[in-house]
Amino acid sequence: MSQVGIDVGGTFTDAVLLTEGVITKKTKVPTQENLLLTLLNALDQLDVAGKELEHITVSTTLVTNGILQRRLPEGKVYLLPGSGMKMESFAWPIPYEVLSGEIDYRGREVVQPNDLEWYRAAQQWKKERESNLVTIVGKFSHRNKIHEERLATVFRQADPQAHIALGHDWGQANFYRRSLTAYLNLTSTELFTQFASGLEQAVAQRGIRAPIMVLKADGGVLPLSRIRPVETVYSGPAASVLGAMAQTDASSFVVVDIGGTTTDLGIVLSNSPLLSSRGAQIGPFATLVRSLAVRSVPVGGDSAVIRQGKELSLARYRLGPAFCLGGPVPTPTDAMCYLGLVPFGDRQKAGAALASLMQPQELAQTAQHILQMVAERIAQEIESLEKEWREEPAYKIWGVLHPHEALQLHVWASGGCASGLKTYLEERLHTKVRIGRYPEVSNAIGAALARPTFSCTLHLDTVLRRFRIEETGEQGIWEGSKRPHLEVDTFLEQVALRLAAAQGIDLRDAQKEEFDFFPIVQEFKTVGQIVRGALHVPPGVRGRIS
Amino acid sequence: MKNTGILFFPAFDWSLGETHPEREERLLYTQEQLFEEGILDLPQIKQFAPGMAPLTKALLAQAVFPSPEHHDLDAHLIAAGSTLILGDALAKGQIQNGFALVRPPGHHAGATVLGNRGFCTLNNEAILVNHLRAEYGYQRIAIVDTDVHHGDGTQDIFYHDPNVLFISLHQDGRTLYPGSGFVEEKGGPNAWGMNVDIPLPPGTGDEGILYALEEWVLPRLQAFKPDIVINSAGQDNHFTDPLASMNVSARGYGRITERLKPDLAVLEGGYSIEDALPYVNLAILLALAGEDYSGVVEAKRPTRPEVPLSQIKPYIQELKREYDQVQANWLWRAEASLPGGYWAYIPRTIYYDTEGFQEMRYDRVRQCSHCGGTVYIESRRPPFHTRHALVRVPFAACPECRQAGYDLWEYLIGRMESVTFQDQPGNVVQFWHISKGVKVFGPSDPRP
Ligand SMILES: [Zn+2]
Ligand SMILES: [Zn+2]
Repeated sequence: MSQVGIDVGGTFTDAVLLTEGVITKKTKVPTQENLLLTLLNALDQLDVAGKELEHITVSTTLVTNGILQRRLPEGKVYLLPGSGMKMESFAWPIPYEVLSGEIDYRGREVVQPNDLEWYRAAQQWKKERESNLVTIVGKFSHRNKIHEERLATVFRQADPQAHIALGHDWGQANFYRRSLTAYLNLTSTELFTQFASGLEQAVAQRGIRAPIMVLKADGGVLPLSRIRPVETVYSGPAASVLGAMAQTDASSFVVVDIGGTTTDLGIVLSNSPLLSSRGAQIGPFATLVRSLAVRSVPVGGDSAVIRQGKELSLARYRLGPAFCLGGPVPTPTDAMCYLGLVPFGDRQKAGAALASLMQPQELAQTAQHILQMVAERIAQEIESLEKEWREEPAYKIWGVLHPHEALQLHVWASGGCASGLKTYLEERLHTKVRIGRYPEVSNAIGAALARPTFSCTLHLDTVLRRFRIEETGEQGIWEGSKRPHLEVDTFLEQVALRLAAAQGIDLRDAQKEEFDFFPIVQEFKTVGQIVRGALHVPPGVRGRIS
Repeated sequence: MKNTGILFFPAFDWSLGETHPEREERLLYTQEQLFEEGILDLPQIKQFAPGMAPLTKALLAQAVFPSPEHHDLDAHLIAAGSTLILGDALAKGQIQNGFALVRPPGHHAGATVLGNRGFCTLNNEAILVNHLRAEYGYQRIAIVDTDVHHGDGTQDIFYHDPNVLFISLHQDGRTLYPGSGFVEEKGGPNAWGMNVDIPLPPGTGDEGILYALEEWVLPRLQAFKPDIVINSAGQDNHFTDPLASMNVSARGYGRITERLKPDLAVLEGGYSIEDALPYVNLAILLALAGEDYSGVVEAKRPTRPEVPLSQIKPYIQELKREYDQVQANWLWRAEASLPGGYWAYIPRTIYYDTEGFQEMRYDRVRQCSHCGGTVYIESRRPPFHTRHALVRVPFAACPECRQAGYDLWEYLIGRMESVTFQDQPGNVVQFWHISKGVKVFGPSDPRP
C-alpha cells in the first residue's frame, strides 16, 4: 500500500509518495496564496491520479494563517466568569460580554443566573449581530456545563440559526484559554470546511478514493471530516519531529529542522515526541490545543547577515534567497557555500557577499563566525527546551523522587542546509549531529507516516456522582460506588473504547496513567473520592523509511 | 505588577492518615481554582519545579533525634527543598517575591525533632532562613506568622537569635493548640525583644487582624529593617476553618499580604479545604503579583460572631502595653561541666500531639553581649532514659562562643546517645551517634 504526505510550508510545499516504506516519488512546489491549488499541484506532481492509496495526509497552515492574519469572521463572546480573578488581569484579544451565573471548582452552582439578564442579552444580540457565531464559556464549565447549555438554549430561542460553541467541549481547566480556544475553533470552522470540501472534491475528481487525513499540532492525524479546525495549527513542526522519527532507529534525540528563516526544534524521548505542558499559543491567542513541545527559532539559511560597526549579527528576517543563489544580501547559506559545506550556490558570489561584510583576507574566518552565531542561537534554544523538560513541575512525592534523568541527547538535523551546520552544532553542543537521507522532504515523510493519537482523561467525583471526559467535554452521571477501585478502571476503558471506535483508532498501543485517588472527607468521615485517570496513544510513526 | 514565583507542591500522594486534615485532598481544589483561573498564564508569574532539600540544610536549623534515618523525611524534605528553590530564585533576582504553596507544613517543628507535631516535622521557613544566611549572606531576617496557631516551632528555633525577628499573630493559646504564644515570650536573654507574640481573641476578623498589623507588626518591622521578610502564610484564620474560631476572609488575607509585602510567603496550616483554601491561596497569590484580588469571594458567607473593631482596638493596645512592660528575668549561673561564662538555664516540655508523647528539654544559652551565644539543648523522651544533645554555634558568633561550642561538642560525645553540632557560621553540621560515630554534613553535599 502507498501513502502520500504533504507538508505546506511558508515558501515551499513538499510532498512524498511512499510505498512499503520506500520513497517512490517526491516533489517540491512553491506555496501559493491559494492553498487548495498548492495541494493539488503537489498531488499532480506526484502523479497519483487514479492510484490505489492507503491515505493522503496533509499538514496545513490554513487555520494558523487565518488566525495570525486576522482573516477569520468575528463572533460574539459571552463569558460567565463568576468571582475570582478580574477579567482585566488578562489581555483579551477579542471583545466579550460578561453575564451572571457561577459554578465552583467541583461543579456546584454557586450563583444562579439572572434569567432576565440572559434573555435581554440574547435579544440584544439578535438585533445587533453581525454574524450568527456565538461563543459561550463559563468558569468551571469543564466541571459542570449546565449554565453554558442553558444560555445556549436562550440564544437558540432568540434565533434558531445561531451557530453556538460552548466552552466545555474543551474539557481542560483554564477559563481564559478555554474561552479563546472555543472562539477560534468556531470562527475558523467555515474557512476549514470550505477548504475540506474543495480538497475532497478535487481528490475525488482525480479518481483517488483514499481518505484524506490532517495532521494535528500534537503529531496525530484525524480524518478531514472529524478534525476540530483549531487543532490543525502548527502541524509543521510536528511533521518535522515525526519525519525525523521515521528516518532513524534512535529512540531519544533532539530534532533540528533548519529552514530558510526559522529553525524548528523538538524532542523525542523513548520513541515518543515530548508534548508541551501548556496549550499552543497562536499569536495573541493562548489556547488549550495540545501540541508537541516545539520551538521555532527565528534563524535559518536565508537569515540576513547585518554588519553594525565591527560586529556581525543575524537578522530575524529574510530578504530573499542567499546571495550565492541570486539573492540580495549575505546569509549563512553564503558562508556554507564559501566553505564548501553545501553542494549548491555560486562560490564566487558567496565570497563577494562575505567581502561586503569584512576584509577580503578574512573571508573564511567571517564565514566560520557566521555559522558559529547560527549554531549558538540554535543551541541556546535547544538547551532551554531541555531545561524546560527537566524542570517540569511535579505534584507528587513520587515525581520528585524519580526526576527526569539528564540525558545526553544527540541531534538529528534536517533541512536543505543541515549539512552546512553539522560541525558547528557538534562543536557547540558537544554531541553528535546526524543528518537524515531526505532532509528536504522530511516533513512530508512525517505527515505520511504519522499515526493517530488518542487520549481519554477521566475526572470522577463519586460524592457528587459526576464524571467528565476532558478531551470530548462529555459530562455524565456516575452510577458506580462511592469508593470505586477496579470499577473505575473498567469504566475508563469502556469510555475509551467507545471514543476510539468512533474515531477508528486502535487502542492496542494505549498507555494507561496511574490513577490518582483523593478521598473526600466531611466531618472526619470519608464520604467518597475524586478519581483522576487517563489513557493515551502517544504520537508516533507507523513505520520507518528504508 | 511584581515578578512572582510560585512553587506549587500539593503532595497528592502523601497524607498523615486517610481522614487526617493533612491529606491528599488538601490542595486539590486550590489546584482546580488556580488552574481554572489560568493564573500561571499571567506574564509576571513564573512557576518553579519542586526539589528535595539536602539533609544538611534541615540539620543546620533543627536537630533530628534519635537520628535522621529514624524518620521518614521525604515529603518534609521536598516541602523544605521547594521553599529553598524559591529562596534561591529570590536571592538571585529571578523573582521579586514568591509563594511556596507546599505541603506538609512546618511551623510547629522546633529546634529538636523527635517526631511529628501539629502536622509538622521539618520547619520550612527556618531551614530557608538559615540557607539564605549561609549561602547569600543575608543578616537580618523577619518572619511574620499569620497562621491561626502560634508558630511555636519557629519561635523555638530562633528564640536566642538576635538577628531573626519572629512575630506571630494567632488565636489566643488559652483557646487553641499549641497553647503557647503569650506576650511574655519576648525572646531569649541574648535576643530579648526579637520575639513578638500577639494572641488574638476568637472571632477576630479582617479589620481586627489588619489593625494589629498596622499598629504593631509593621512599625516593629520598620524599626528592625530586615533584609528579607518571610510570611508563614497559614490560612486557618479563615471564617470557615474547622480547627479554629477566627473570622478572616480570603480578601482579608489578600490585604494582609498587600500590607506586609513579604519577599516569600510559605503555606502553613489551613484546613477548610473546600471553603477557604481555593480562595485564600488565590487571593494571596494575586496580592503578591500585584493583581486585583477584590473579586475573590468565597461561596460561603461568614456565620461566626465577629469581634467588633471597637473591642479589638483597646484589646490590642493593652496587649502592646503589657508587652512593652515585660521585664527579663533570667537565672545566670556558671556550670562546672560547661565551658566558661554564665549560662541561662531554661527547662521545658514539648508535647507531640501526633503520636502523643512528651519531650523533656533542658535549654541553656551562654551569656554574650557580642553575639547570640552558644546554645546547648538536652533532650529526653520519657520514659526512655537516653539523652540527646544539640549544640549550636550561632551565625555571627564571637570567638569565645564559637570555642565554647566546639568544647561542648567534644565534651558531649560519649555522654549522650546522639549529639548534633550546628556550626552555623561554618555552614557545617556534625552528627555523632553512639553506634555510628561522627558524620559530617557539609555545604558541598549535592542536592539529590
Ligand atoms: Zn495552623
Ligand atoms: Zn558570643
